[in-house]
Formats: sequence, structure tokens, C-alpha cells
Amino acid sequence: MRETLALSTHIVRRNWTVYKKDLIANISPTVADPALIMVSLGFGLGGYLTNVEGMSYMHYLAPGLTIATSLFTSFFESSYGFFVRMTYENVFKAMLTTPIGAREVVLGEMLWVGLKGAVMSIGVTIVLAIFGMMINPWLIPLLGIVGFLVALPCGAMGLLSTALVRNINQFQTVYSFLIAPLYFLSGIFFPISEMSAPVKFIADCFPLIHGVRLAQSVFWNRDIASTFLVHGGILVVQSLVFCGFAYRQIRKKLVQ
Amino acid sequence: MIKARALKKNFGEFCAVNDLTLEIRQGECFGLLGPNGAGKSTFIGMTYGSVERTAGELSVFGLDPATHARVIKKRMGVVTQENALDESLTVFENMLIYCAFIGVPSQERHKRVTDLLEYMNLAHKKDDRILALSGGMKRRLVFVRALLGNPELLILDEPTTGLDPAVRHLLWGKVKELRQEGTTILLTTHYMHEAEVLCDRLVIMNKGKVAAEGSPAKLITEHTPGHVGIYNFDSREELKSLAEKKDFIFLEDSSGIYLRASRMEDLLSTGIPALQLRPANLEDVFLKLTGTELATDA
Ligand SMILES: Nc1ncnc2c1ncn2[C@@H]1O[C@H](COP(=O)(O)OP(=O)(O)OP(=O)(O)O)[C@@H](O)[C@H]1O
Ligand SMILES: [Mg+2]
Repeated sequence: MRETLALSTHIVRRNWTVYKKDLIANISPTVADPALIMVSLGFGLGGYLTNVEGMSYMHYLAPGLTIATSLFTSFFESSYGFFVRMTYENVFKAMLTTPIGAREVVLGEMLWVGLKGAVMSIGVTIVLAIFGMMINPWLIPLLGIVGFLVALPCGAMGLLSTALVRNINQFQTVYSFLIAPLYFLSGIFFPISEMSAPVKFIADCFPLIHGVRLAQSVFWNRDIASTFLVHGGILVVQSLVFCGFAYRQIRKKLVQ
Repeated sequence: MIKARALKKNFGEFCAVNDLTLEIRQGECFGLLGPNGAGKSTFIGMTYGSVERTAGELSVFGLDPATHARVIKKRMGVVTQENALDESLTVFENMLIYCAFIGVPSQERHKRVTDLLEYMNLAHKKDDRILALSGGMKRRLVFVRALLGNPELLILDEPTTGLDPAVRHLLWGKVKELRQEGTTILLTTHYMHEAEVLCDRLVIMNKGKVAAEGSPAKLITEHTPGHVGIYNFDSREELKSLAEKKDFIFLEDSSGIYLRASRMEDLLSTGIPALQLRPANLEDVFLKLTGTELATDA
């Protein structure tokens, strides 16, 4: 197990070596997108919505944006990114001749998206905190944990789709029918209580909604401990389940 | 070192390796020959656990790759048929990260990589992107990659494809040197001359099975003893009747006509000018055993 972990960190290091070559180009969209939403929806729409759950729309929107960042960072990395590495660049063909096996590949990928999710969430939160969106900015590090916890199951969903799509274009379908609905129906843009029960039930099965709750508790400084216990716990369970599925499917791709 | 008994691999309905039995001994250079699609790479994949066998027994270093792949992989180096170099990294970065994967201590990595790049005449390319390398340079780099861990068992899946003659000879030299030092080598190649130069023993595979086994010299004396003359099609009829009369082996394919006799003089005495006269070699054995058509490509 210790060896598996050590080998996985080498994969993280490999990804980081590649990533840092294009650091600015890689990071800027992750920060630019939430900034754009903040300006357009927060300032624009926010002018009409002056009271959402007892606060301005911008304050309502802010926590969800950090979670969206973690979702997109991890999903795109483990879908398009992983697919390209596996299919076009053949990176794993050589890796698998070393002590690395399918298990290490998946664990390494999970660690990598988790760390990326954590760092990106903190980055976005810092920007939002500067705009005064956080009641207690000392809690920013907690958003790193939340970003990590959201990125794991979302990354696993990405890996799972990588194993199941037949070509790279099919990710568009996964995006349109899974990721986009989750994005819009997980309480980021409007309170979950407004949604119908079946939609809510389905949303609960996926990680985003729980991440949003966690981020909201931290941003708004409300019931942090109990929210982490419940929704953090759910995220851990979802991570294990989704990672389990992802591993089984990815293994079939890597080992014939 | 590697033992396979009744080894079998199916991809769905298709049987890629079928009842393969062979043994590769410690310290020898063992050749695995066979036409495209014979199952060579599939067998190699099974030795380090990236292809799961359907049936039969397989052991490497006395261990089963299905359960002990990691331990096995620590002791072997593989030149994969596809280069599979990491195109997002430079030459040097590729080798460094690979050192990390195989557990080379971090303080030794720099020197190990530098030395091997030097040996393969790639030192001047060390900071280049993979895409900036020629096909032969990539191949050499893959060879460097396989040697980083000082493996006890070196597996070479068509290592010299795309290499110019000088580099090919350089690589042969290195392989011989490694064998001298006690490294066990498993080689696949489509260059029969390469197999003759390097291999102590070899098998010729066809359709997933062993068609023949032995040293190059033994295979030649067993299956195609004698000398071969190669002719163009002009004197086809003449050659054919001559073969029947004198009991020569007559063979033709799209490239020309082949006449095989036990002695060179037999061929010379026919008076028909040959394009080439030579002792029979592994290529003759190969063509005889695996057929000349592409029918094997299922
Ligand atoms: N993943 C796979 N799925 C289905 N069929 C496969 C797979 N891998 C290999 N095959 C089939 O198995 C057979 C053996 O392939 P293999 O790559 O082992 O041949 P080879 O002897 O290495 O040939 P070559 O000399 O062309 O490299 C081929 O017919 C190939 O099409
Ligand atoms: Mg092959």
C-alpha cells in the first residue's frame, strides 16, 4: 500500500511537470470563468435579486462558484485530459512496464485531480474574499478541503466516462446530459429548496450539491462542523464508490 | 527465467496466442519470430501483466505475472513495440520521471540518464521535445528507457525498426555486451539477419503457436539446408524442369524464383545466371514455415 501511494505520487509529479509548463494558460480560464459569472450574474442579475435566503445574490452565488471550479477542473482533467494521455499519447503503455499498475494509475489520477481541485478552489475563493464575499476569510483553507472532496468523485466520474466513451467527441454528450444539469441543478444559482423532489433526489446522489452545501457553510460561517460531518461524509462515500467503479472500468482499458 | 506452458490468450472470439509452450533460460538471448499478428507482442504483454492470459501457465523469475506483476517489473526492462514516449515532456524529463517510476534513487538519476543518453548518441538532444526527434532517435531513446533500471531481463519488441544500419550495429553491440554481462534477453524482430546475429535460440511462431524451435544454425539445417539461388522470372520454365530433374527445391513468390540445392556448385553448374547465390538462412526457414502469403493476417 505504501508503495502504491509512492508510485501514485510519481504520476502526480509527472502531471505537474507537464502542467507547469503552461501555467498561465492552464490557470487563467479557471479563474476567469467564475470572475465572469460573478460580474455578469452577480452584478447584472443581482440588481434584480436583492434578497436570496436573506442575502444579496452575489453573496448567494459566491460559494457555489468555487465548487463549480472544482467540478470543471477535475472533470475535464480526468475526461479529455486522461483520454488524450491514454489514447493519443500512449503514456500508460510505457508506464505499465514499470512497477506502476492500473491501480496506481487511477490513484495517481485521483490524487492529481484532488490536489488541483483544492488549489483551484482556494484560488477562486481568495478572489471572492477580496470582493468581500466571505464573512470570515480565515476559513479560506477549509475551501481547499472542500475542493479536494468535490474533485475526487467528480474526477472519478470523468475517469468512468473516459472508460466508457468510444471516442473523444462523446464527452460532449456526457457534458450535456450529466455535468451541465448537475451544474445548474445543484443549488449554485438558486436555492435547492425551489426544486421538485425527484430532481432533488437525483441531485443528492451526485457530489456537487453536497460540495455546495459545504462551501456555503464556510462562506456564510453557518453550522460548519455539522455540515462537514454530514455532507463531507457523503462526499467521502461517493468518492469511494465512484473511484471503485472508475478503477474497474479503467483497468479493462489498460489491461487487456 | 520465463516459462510458458499451454499458454492461451483470446481477445473475444479471436485466439491470439494458442497453446504456446516455451522456455527462456537464464543468460541467453532468445528470439521470438513470426509474421505480423502471430502473437509475439501479446505474449510479451503477458510476461509483465498488461495482458491477462485466458488459460495455461506462465512464470517469470519463477513468479506468476497475474499476481506478482510489480515484483517482476522491477527486475525487467521493456522496449515496447510502440515508442509510447511522453510527448508532453522533454527527452531528459521523460527519462527522469521513468527513473522515478522504476525506483532509481534520486541522487543517481541524473548520472544514469546522462550516461545512457551519451551511449546512444542522444546527449545533444537531451532538452528537445519528443516531437523534435526523428523516428530512429525515438527508438534509441526507448532503448535507453528500458536500460535505466539495469534489468536482469531485457525484452526487446522489434527494437531496431526504423534504425539506420550504423545505429542498428551499435544497438547489436550493446545487446551482445549486455548478454555477456549476464542479462537475459527476449527479442522479437522481423529482420532474420538480426536474429541470426544475436540469438542463441529462437522460436518461430505462427498463428499463436510455436512452429519451430532451436538455434539459428539448427533451424537452418533442419528445415532449409543448403544453398539458395534467386532468379528473375525470365527462365522460369527452365528452372522448374531443372528442379524436378535434379531434385532441387523450387519456390516462387512475387519477388522472384528461389532454387535451393545442397551445394553451391549444383546451382552454379546450371549455367543459368542468378541474381544472387547464398547459403540458406533464417529467412528461408521463416518463409517456409510461415508461408509467403498474407493469409495469416486474420
Ligand atoms: N487488444 C486487442 N484486441 C483484439 N485483438 C487484439 C488485441 N491485441 C492484439 N490483437 C490481435 O492479436 C493478434 C496478435 O497480435 P500481436 O500484436 O501479438 O502480434 P505480433 O506478433 O506482435 O505482430 P507484429 O509483428 O505485427 O507486431 C493480432 O491478430 C491482433 O489483431
Ligand atoms: Mg508486435
